[in-house]
Amino acid sequence: MTAEAILEVRDLVKHYPLTQGIVLKRQVGAVKAVDGVSFDLRKGETLGIVGESGCGKSTVAKMLVGLERPTAGAIRYRGEDITKLSGRALKAVRRNIQMVFQDPYTSLNPRMTVGDIIGEPYDIHPEVAPKGSRRQKVQELLDVVGLNPEYVNRYPHQFSGGQRQRIGIARGLALRPEIIVADEPVSALDVSVQAQVVNLLERLQSEFDLSYVFIAHDLSVVRHISDRVAVMYLGRIVETGTEDEIYGHPTHPYTQALLSAVPVPDPEAREHRVGAPPGGSRGRILLAGDVPSPADPPSGCRFRTRCWKAREVCAEVVPPLAVPEWFAGAAGPAHPSACHFAEERHVVPSE
Amino acid sequence: MATATTPDPAPDAGAASPALLDVRDLYVEFRTRDGVARAVNGVSYRVDAGETLAVLGESGSGKSVTAQALMGILDSPPGFVTGGEIRFRGQDLLQAAPEERRRIRGARMAMIFQDALSALNPVLSVGTQLGEMYEVHQGMKRKDARAKAVELMERVRIPAARSRVGDYPHQFSGGMRQRIMIAMALALEPDLIIADEPTTALDVTVQAQVMDLLADLQREYDMGLILITHDLGVVADVADRIAVMYAGRIVEHAPVHDLYRAPAHPYTRGLLDSIPRLDQKGQELYAIKGLPPSLTAIPPGCPFHPRCPRARDRCAVDRPPQYDVAPGRTSACHFWEETLRDEEPPHDR
Repeated sequence: MTAEAILEVRDLVKHYPLTQGIVLKRQVGAVKAVDGVSFDLRKGETLGIVGESGCGKSTVAKMLVGLERPTAGAIRYRGEDITKLSGRALKAVRRNIQMVFQDPYTSLNPRMTVGDIIGEPYDIHPEVAPKGSRRQKVQELLDVVGLNPEYVNRYPHQFSGGQRQRIGIARGLALRPEIIVADEPVSALDVSVQAQVVNLLERLQSEFDLSYVFIAHDLSVVRHISDRVAVMYLGRIVETGTEDEIYGHPTHPYTQALLSAVPVPDPEAREHRVGAPPGGSRGRILLAGDVPSPADPPSGCRFRTRCWKAREVCAEVVPPLAVPEWFAGAAGPAHPSACHFAEERHVVPSE
Repeated sequence: MATATTPDPAPDAGAASPALLDVRDLYVEFRTRDGVARAVNGVSYRVDAGETLAVLGESGSGKSVTAQALMGILDSPPGFVTGGEIRFRGQDLLQAAPEERRRIRGARMAMIFQDALSALNPVLSVGTQLGEMYEVHQGMKRKDARAKAVELMERVRIPAARSRVGDYPHQFSGGMRQRIMIAMALALEPDLIIADEPTTALDVTVQAQVMDLLADLQREYDMGLILITHDLGVVADVADRIAVMYAGRIVEHAPVHDLYRAPAHPYTRGLLDSIPRLDQKGQELYAIKGLPPSLTAIPPGCPFHPRCPRARDRCAVDRPPQYDVAPGRTSACHFWEETLRDEEPPHDR
């Protein structure tokens, strides 16, 4: 899958100012929610972005669809930097990048019928569906996402969580976008319903040739759906690669800790968990402490305060996100990893 | 919360040491404007000291309501326990006087809630809230209670406990707040802890820390633990036995290894097949068709039959009993034998 990149993100930054004083607001600092993130999204692929709460993954999503303006950096869609656009040109681009939200309970207006919710994008982009054909278009969309087309006049409360998420997906598809940014689209759903929605997203991807940016904290779901994965920590990408490179050959200590912390649904794994480091508990890499505040991130490598490998250089030099030279040419571990001491370690039990 | 009582040493009611907790045929319903929601329909399970029972289910399966009934904190009305027994060390709690239940609650059995931020009082310092356990149940003086609070915080590995004892809940991170909840549950060294989704709101690296702590403390104090969760991964990690709930019933009850190796109920099979695995790059996921039933209109016969790939005519009319699959293992499926052998269902999935 070496198609062209339809979305290029370069050095994306989002700082939220911290102010003091009521009348004369002075800026006293900034929450560095996203602090230099770069990646490419290729046509027809799924890029998974994983990380814990507060790592900035949702802020990245909002900037991609234009719900937040970046402080710095570029988002190039088909070569054009959309952060510089405004007015009509921006509107045209936005049509092609749509979003599916996490919470199907709060992202649908309870006073609008399903038909109005899914049809609302056509009010903004009437060129896609002339007035007369809208109802039919909405019914087609309901059918595509596996809902009964006769439900157009129902209200969101008449649907279950999984069905509501299908409505949210139908709304995202309405304008026939090329890219869908999905922010935790299945994490509010029950296990048995989650699989239905994941399968739906995969089917729609091949049917409509969509590219996905799939943001989630559930590493198992991300592995299932993604072609490539980026791991974020405190506003930066710490490691990126193909699904197999990240899960099979992780080289960044944070990725390793994250993966080893995921409980595997197999009680046999309890006894012989692989890659147990010294000091780990029941074969896990247990990280000490909590994620530092993004208002005052550590110098150098941001993960160093919780890293068991940290040395002096980690506090002084920011490790670049690049393929470590000592891995050059090695099949699995040769992928970008922002660690001075990157080394491969198997933490996910192999099949 | 005015009276201060010293806890009874609780004489072990003699006779062939009864189970720590023995729930028998419990029924709970909610009487609402839209009808009666039958949340728990004949649930039985037991937990012994030092043992972890996982109660697994999706939202609306009745797993949390069962726990609330055990603790005696069911919202009533609209919730009512309409049948069954809850025997704690042989004593039926449903027959106990409210005063007696209150003495047991907190001291002998304690609960850890999912959302620590809303379970803790935001206007009292954590030290006050922890110390209150000793003041109310043991009549301890405030100053001594404070010292005990620090000790508890150290026991759940909160760094710099002495200087943080006066802090308020919002000053702690999610993981630290959940530790305070655990500390509060442990305060009076109960025999049984009920943990309702204790790590669901936490990030995965913090979840691992908290589950580890809970498991260590359980071993140290030889407590019984009921772990209520929807996460098949967490269950596999810590449970001894599992009870799988669906529509207010236990559909399968088994030792943890047996259940994962070969489930004896199609619902359990479906759940295991439908989760994406960290260790596998799967093809299409198996998805259980349809939706869980509404508790005001539970299907007749087997409640799972409208979604079941093995369902036959009989399933729509004949409610399956708990079949004995093996010693200590039951399944509420007429066709548990073919499910266990994982034979092809009679018609297409």
